[in-house]
Amino acid sequence: MARTRIAALAAAAAITVTALTGCGAADMTRQSSPYADAKGSRTVTLSVQSWVGAQANVAVAQYLLEHELGYRVDTVQIDEVPAWDALSQGRVDAILEDWGHPEQEKRYIDDKGTIARGGELGVTGHIGWFVPTYFAEEHPDVTDWKNLNKYADQLRTAESGGKGQLLDGSPSYVTNDKALVNNLDLDYQVVFAGSEAAQITQIRQFAKEKKPFLTYWYKPQWLFEKVPMTEVKLPDYKEGCDADAEKVACAYPHTPLQKFLNSRFEADGGDAAAFLKKFRWTTDMQNDVSLMIADQKLSPQEAAARWVKQNEATWRTWLPS
Amino acid sequence: MNTPPHTATAPQTTATAESVFSVRDLWKVFGPKAERVPADQELRGLDPAELRERTGCTAAVRDVSFDVRKGEVFVVMGLSGSGKSTLVRCLTRLIEPTSGTVSIDGEDVLSMDTGRLRELRRHRAAMVFQHFGLLPHRTVLDNVAYGLEIQGVGRGERRERAAEFVTQVGLDGMEDRRPSQLSGGQQQRVGLARALAVDPEVLLFDEPFSALDPLIRRDMQEEVVRLHQDEGRTMVFITHDLSEALKLGDRIALMRDGRIVQLGTPEEIVGAPADDYVRDFVRDVPREQVLTVRSAMRPALGDEREAGPALAPSATVHEAIEAVARTGENARVVEGGRCLGVVDHAGLLGVVAGVPAAADKAVA
Amino acid sequence: MTATVTPATTGSAAATDTGSGVLRALTRHRGRLIVACAAVALVLGAVFLGAGNWPASLSVDLSGPLKSTSDWIIDNRDGHPLFLYFLGHVSNAVVVSVRAVYLVLLALGWAGVTAAATLVAWRVAGVRLALTSLAAFAVCGVLGMWVPTMQTLALMVVAVAASVLLGGLLGLAAGLSDRMHRVLRPVLDTMQVLPAFAYLLPVVLVFGIGVPAAVLATVIYAAPPMARLTALGLRDADAGVMEAATSLGATGRQRLLTARLPLARKELLLGVNQSIMMALGMAVIASVIGAGGLGDRVYQALASVDVGAALAAGVPIVLLAIVLDRVTAAAGERIGAAPAHRSRLGWAIAAAATAAVALGTRLADALTWPDGWTLDIAEPVNRAVDWMTAHLYSGVPVVGGTADWAGHFTTWVLNPLRSGLQWLPWWAVLLTIGVLALLIGTWRTAVTAVLAMAAIGVLGVWDPALDTLSQVLAAVAVTLLVGVALGVASARSNRLGRALRPVLDVFQTMPQFVYLIPVVALFGVGRAPAVAAAVVYALPAVVRITAQGVRAVNPAAMESSRSLGATGRQQLLQVQLPLARPALLLAVNQGVVLVLAVVVIGGLVGGGALGYDAVFGLAQGDLATGLVAGAAIVCLGLMLDRVTQPTQRRDLAGKGA
Repeated sequence: MARTRIAALAAAAAITVTALTGCGAADMTRQSSPYADAKGSRTVTLSVQSWVGAQANVAVAQYLLEHELGYRVDTVQIDEVPAWDALSQGRVDAILEDWGHPEQEKRYIDDKGTIARGGELGVTGHIGWFVPTYFAEEHPDVTDWKNLNKYADQLRTAESGGKGQLLDGSPSYVTNDKALVNNLDLDYQVVFAGSEAAQITQIRQFAKEKKPFLTYWYKPQWLFEKVPMTEVKLPDYKEGCDADAEKVACAYPHTPLQKFLNSRFEADGGDAAAFLKKFRWTTDMQNDVSLMIADQKLSPQEAAARWVKQNEATWRTWLPS
Repeated sequence: MNTPPHTATAPQTTATAESVFSVRDLWKVFGPKAERVPADQELRGLDPAELRERTGCTAAVRDVSFDVRKGEVFVVMGLSGSGKSTLVRCLTRLIEPTSGTVSIDGEDVLSMDTGRLRELRRHRAAMVFQHFGLLPHRTVLDNVAYGLEIQGVGRGERRERAAEFVTQVGLDGMEDRRPSQLSGGQQQRVGLARALAVDPEVLLFDEPFSALDPLIRRDMQEEVVRLHQDEGRTMVFITHDLSEALKLGDRIALMRDGRIVQLGTPEEIVGAPADDYVRDFVRDVPREQVLTVRSAMRPALGDEREAGPALAPSATVHEAIEAVARTGENARVVEGGRCLGVVDHAGLLGVVAGVPAAADKAVA
Repeated sequence: MTATVTPATTGSAAATDTGSGVLRALTRHRGRLIVACAAVALVLGAVFLGAGNWPASLSVDLSGPLKSTSDWIIDNRDGHPLFLYFLGHVSNAVVVSVRAVYLVLLALGWAGVTAAATLVAWRVAGVRLALTSLAAFAVCGVLGMWVPTMQTLALMVVAVAASVLLGGLLGLAAGLSDRMHRVLRPVLDTMQVLPAFAYLLPVVLVFGIGVPAAVLATVIYAAPPMARLTALGLRDADAGVMEAATSLGATGRQRLLTARLPLARKELLLGVNQSIMMALGMAVIASVIGAGGLGDRVYQALASVDVGAALAAGVPIVLLAIVLDRVTAAAGERIGAAPAHRSRLGWAIAAAATAAVALGTRLADALTWPDGWTLDIAEPVNRAVDWMTAHLYSGVPVVGGTADWAGHFTTWVLNPLRSGLQWLPWWAVLLTIGVLALLIGTWRTAVTAVLAMAAIGVLGVWDPALDTLSQVLAAVAVTLLVGVALGVASARSNRLGRALRPVLDVFQTMPQFVYLIPVVALFGVGRAPAVAAAVVYALPAVVRITAQGVRAVNPAAMESSRSLGATGRQQLLQVQLPLARPALLLAVNQGVVLVLAVVVIGGLVGGGALGYDAVFGLAQGDLATGLVAGAAIVCLGLMLDRVTQPTQRRDLAGKGA
């Protein structure tokens, strides 16, 4: 008796679900966020990556979309690769700063056509190894990778054991560091901070004590304003030298950062889509906003408002005519 | 007495027409492959310890037969573990018997299908439990109405009928309380009202008052006596308390290790214990309060038929002693104007002292 | 939270009765087993001498198949019937219901929601809790977190409703059918000890990032306690009452509806309570896969190292947890005690008042929380954190700074422990686990533990798993050292106990993410901060269980020892601690489970090992790596739970929120 009851309940639940969602097929790749379009306004959902530069892009775009174009903006923090999936599903309308994901570009843009290119952001990104400038000034030869082994002793920490520590960041970032350390025969241990937040905190602690450190880092990044760092030269980057992940032995490339839009949003997004495609600024501008957010602890909205007030000439050109 | 006391192993000749429950050769064995025990002549004879050693089984009810007559209070008495609670549960198959037969009004209970069995439980036999079995989330009134609700009686009607029984058991004004707000005695009154509300043919009581303190217990016993006198409803009453059994029972079945060792009226049990176990059991009973003057009576001699205080045959020895002491004469036992015999000092003292000679003489 | 501590009553059914004879037999067997084990060990040792690591020939590389599965899902998500006609509907149902609840909450406006919460709390739990919930919702608004709070609330409502429904049905099945119970119970027990993180990956694999995945992961995490408690309540129904119902001729259905379910109502409500707490505990973690709301704010704040902002988003979660916990707990206590009538009038008043307030705000066009009424706590908090880290990080005279401690802890504890574990031959590790599980638990737990550990080897993540294990062991040791000391102290001093309680409550409810950053600021990046975060998280449960255990020691035993002239110290060592042994074992078990949950998250602050792999899998969409790590975490959790599981298990404490 109990079993039939349960079966009946399950059937009822199944019917309810079907009734709720409408009969027939339900394509989960075309479902938007439940929080979208609340209160009847047009909503744009932007992906914010975990680093502050990306927050700066989104904050300014959000501010202008809301105050100049009358949209409501939702932001979702998603790691880079899953963000592509979310973008293709339409749960996110746009990614404003992408550091290059050839595999995803091929799958979603070329094969499936669910994502469209949105043009360049105007900022060029570069990943590299950095030492604090105070340390580089003291030991100028540290900026060449060939001399790194000399300093391994000074860069030792409890976590890296007997080797020097190369601090890496969030698992979502593109990194060849383990292969580099291996292939360049460096006496270093890659220590993953696990998140950018942890990495930044650690760098600032080191800087406060003027301790030497070696870290994976990237430009543009506001932290350079707080902790001046000098790049360590790695073997030159040549096209295709990073093709085999196991055998990489060259520096990271300079990447012009790209914007991507969901295809449907690009087609039907109206002013918002047009605006986001035109959105293009410089490294310095992005850094200004980043610093306000990360260092002065302004909320992204306040930082964006402040920047918008001072740079009307720049953003006027982004608005659809 | 003219008939010898019944014992478990001497089944009655036939189920008399007026018997409500009729139980024959009933077994309830707990344990692995329980059904082989009653079937096997050798296993049947083992004592409990041997049975457990041999088979891992426990026989809670062993080869029990009896009849519950219409309108009587039939008491099953025994110490804990004697199988009495299992026995009463077998009557409505709350516990499924291993073998034997149970019939109610001549209808075989064990062959009933679920629907018929449910009818039996809903309308013909209601039970009152030692630990009350009340629903803690319902009010007194809804608890009393619960049996009716299960029968499918509409809300208005069942509450109305339940209210009567709440009054009848003396819980007026407590209809909206929850069981947790009542004393033990009050809770058992709710249990009693719940059983009465379905107007059953038989009331089954499973040690209903053993969880109550002595004064309340006496009140409740009197309540049951009153109820029985008012309605004459058949009752099966389980207890471990001899005085309760003697007080309430028209007939008593005394159980030990799953068997009925003696079945008879209180007077028979006390006056003529079937074996040493029963004798030991009833030793401390104030015999003069249980035995009637019949047990102290001797044939009248000469003019004794005419003189002395008259007593009914159902009068207790205690009453006879009082009469004899007051008047200083032998008392006559009179029934329908005819003198059955007389009781004198010697006879009465014999009963009180439990001297067999006196009893033999009386029974003869 | 108080209500995450399941009352001891739930333990009665969980406890397995073992006759003393059986116990004796078991002990005999156990002795024989240990001898056998030693013999086997010798043989194995001879054969595999020097084989330190799990042999490659015994492991299976799953990354290929997993990768192709994940690719297949992404490619077929918009076309395959399985997705279109089943999973798509599930996903859609979640979106539709979350949206519906969210729109209702928005339509009520801030005043309406606050009024509704306050009035419900008043009806259910009285004036004090009504004021608490009024204050709690006001604080959510004041912190500028109104909209995220509503998003989280909408998600919670749907997730909890689904958990209660699903858990209730499973519990019903297990409560009524012995066979279902035998099948479900070990599964549910196990699910309850697994770190929330392990649930994220498979859901993301199927549903992609977003609210549906977040809700479903939350449901999977929050349904087991409901199912367990439902089953427990149904099975524990007072046999006397059930028999009475049967004796009145009730049908099976009547027995269930009029007796068994109502009798289990306390457990059912406790199940709802636990589901809510688990769901809230998941709120932040689920933001990693796109839950949005408060969790996302915490996550975003952490990305910019903004502890203050993280706290501003974390506090509403804590407040929601406190209010929901107390209200459901009060509902559980009230049930059955209050007279039925009159309450309908109260509810009508509450509903009318809510409607009036909501309408009022709507007419006044003040649905959103007024901008001016917010208070920025981020800055002062950040200043305080900065000050703290600046002063404690290093150079504190005599004791050294926290960075030095972390360094020493890593060098002298974590490193030797890790290299020790990794140096041990793999079969020796299995052997040790088996023997330990046997000494504490039963044959069955030992077999499960060994199999779980072996599975880790087969998955090919033996080394990182041992790394994680070393962190867990170190963290558990510290937790127990500090926790038992604090627990004993607070059991012996009421004042200390009272002072500790709110602190413990907050630590246990605060989303783990919030204290990851201060921990990095204090201990640097690496395994030490992961261990520190784990200790902070697990400490409350250990302190509480220890204190309860010591306090619950039979007063008669205490009195008799006092009457024999025992000193306080003698009493503690000879009476209280030995008698509190079951509680202490439980504290170890809970400590281990909680520590593992955080050590995994420790991957975010440099803990590395399995936690990093799981985070990496999520972050890179490399589900093959992530799933293998997740499965290994599951196995590790299973192993640790079974090894530390006392024979007579008692769930004094549920998993913290």
